[in-house]
Amino acid sequence: MNVGQLQSLKDLIEFLKQQEVGEFELEQEGLKVHLSFAGQGSSASHVDLEQLSRLLRQSQGPTFTAGTVAPPAHLSHVSAGASTAPELAATGDEPGLHIIKSPIVGTFYEASAPGAEPYIKVGDNVESGQVVCIVEAMKLMNEIECDMAGEVVKRMVASGQPVEYGQPLFAIRPR
Amino acid sequence: MFRKVLIANRGEIALRIISACKEMGIRTVAIYSEADRNSLHVRFADEAICIGPPRSADSYLNVPAVISAAEIADVDAIHPGYGLLSENANFAEVCRASNIKFIGPPPEVTRLMGEKEKARMSMKKAKVPILPGSEGVIQSEDEALDWARQIGYPVILKASAGGGGRGMRVVRNADELPNFFRAARTEAQNAFGNGDLYMEKFIERPRHIEFQILADEYGNVMSLGERECSIQRRHQKLIEEAPSLQVTPRMREEIGGTLKKCLETIGYVNAGTVEFLMDEDGKLYFIEMNTRIQVEHPVTEMVTGVDLVKAQFRIAAGEKLSEIITKPVEIRGHAIECRINAEHPEKFTPSAGKITAYNLPGGNGVRVDTAQYAEGVVPPYYDSLIAKLIVHGEDRTEAIARMERALSMFVVEGIHTTIQLHQRIFADEDFRVGAFDTKFMERFFEREKLRREVVQ
Repeated sequence: MNVGQLQSLKDLIEFLKQQEVGEFELEQEGLKVHLSFAGQGSSASHVDLEQLSRLLRQSQGPTFTAGTVAPPAHLSHVSAGASTAPELAATGDEPGLHIIKSPIVGTFYEASAPGAEPYIKVGDNVESGQVVCIVEAMKLMNEIECDMAGEVVKRMVASGQPVEYGQPLFAIRPR
Repeated sequence: MFRKVLIANRGEIALRIISACKEMGIRTVAIYSEADRNSLHVRFADEAICIGPPRSADSYLNVPAVISAAEIADVDAIHPGYGLLSENANFAEVCRASNIKFIGPPPEVTRLMGEKEKARMSMKKAKVPILPGSEGVIQSEDEALDWARQIGYPVILKASAGGGGRGMRVVRNADELPNFFRAARTEAQNAFGNGDLYMEKFIERPRHIEFQILADEYGNVMSLGERECSIQRRHQKLIEEAPSLQVTPRMREEIGGTLKKCLETIGYVNAGTVEFLMDEDGKLYFIEMNTRIQVEHPVTEMVTGVDLVKAQFRIAAGEKLSEIITKPVEIRGHAIECRINAEHPEKFTPSAGKITAYNLPGGNGVRVDTAQYAEGVVPPYYDSLIAKLIVHGEDRTEAIARMERALSMFVVEGIHTTIQLHQRIFADEDFRVGAFDTKFMERFFEREKLRREVVQ
């Protein structure tokens, strides 16, 4: 590694820290970088079990109110941390797009209720921390926040579709 | 029968359960962490869902993620395998609340068996022999002497709040009891801030013997005989066999009968294992019950011909034991299992990495349960078991010869494994004649060390 590369790496690390990215991987000819930052744990595991089972008993069928549970502040970090290289190809086109990934396994909804306006649409300008969709897990509506400001270029899943952990949801062109 | 089942596990047991489902025509859903993307359980399940990052706490142990995956896959049952969520009563409760059948006992039973003292008392009430001991805390030296006289020397004093050997004393006669009692109490007080002591019978050289049971949802319980699991290192089993040389047909029948009555009273359901210590005179004492399928279940399958995992599914689907096992269970021949771990054979440090070459032994009487393959990677996040090598022979002698043959054909390159260690154990005279107990491995390593010193 030469001096120039080392400086670039330092800049990269600073940038990733600022963006609160959990993990980062890069591979080019003769160079492979893997970075992971402490403290970007998943929040889905912190859901209170008792509360969950109580809620499960109470709610029969999706009640569909946004933001019932789960600390969404953490969720946005997790979505960024869940990067895995192969899925980036899913965007196909433009390099440099930022992918918002599902931080939990569940069902994707674009809006807070059936028939309501979607949280975001292609072409919208979004801010970091803005709610972009809901992923329902165990009858709990988890608001997913955007982890980068920019323009929404693409939505990768249909409303009502099941999503895995780490599955790409939106592509954002960073501002 | 179930239409679709989610397997809440990984590794060889996930694949074992998938195999049973395939043979029964049940659709399977695998869940996996990002570290297991290229695992065989993912490859061979009908569907697979990534539920989280590599750390178990964030993926396989993450109850909301597992249940959410079960919901989006629309399964009607979850098989938990062993370890992970298998003995988590809360998980079983959430399954019930979510209308998903948990393949295992009801959460109330799991919870009862998880509380060791309550489990002991339930067993005692049902006349299952438990290790004799004091009832509650011992207040004074005189009381300790009384208990020791009742229990019979040697006894062991243990700290109620204890663990890790502190506040523990083995007492061999009445003369040394008062001093040991005071020392143990002071030690317990200093270590745990609580000087309470209790007393149990001390077994110098115990064997670990466990009984496999099956119970249906209509109160019918059946014992499928025992497994001998005394070859352990730091409470980790290395080799298991069935039947045990120490258990006579009469003992097998007696214990089986007692367990049947006991577990019928408790309301046990599905597969379970009751663990005993056996003293030098061949007497069995209950220690605990495991409310799941065990790692070493194949040795029982080999000698009884009963597929335990399939039986679990059929029980959970509401079938009666008499429909599942139609003939009286007979113990046929002898089976032995070696746990092949990705570990350094002397240092026992985990050995994660990429497997470069992998040849499995096969042929008559050999079974290998594994989820590894050549070019596959053993991730550093989970337990180190990579394969179970199981042999069946007409008697123990044939089983031993078969295991030695199979071990010599089991090739794993790229990582360290315990294959060599097993080969050395199988060459050991005491092991070959069946003269062992749970302290066997300590003596084995001691002997090896001595031999090395002599050679040098």
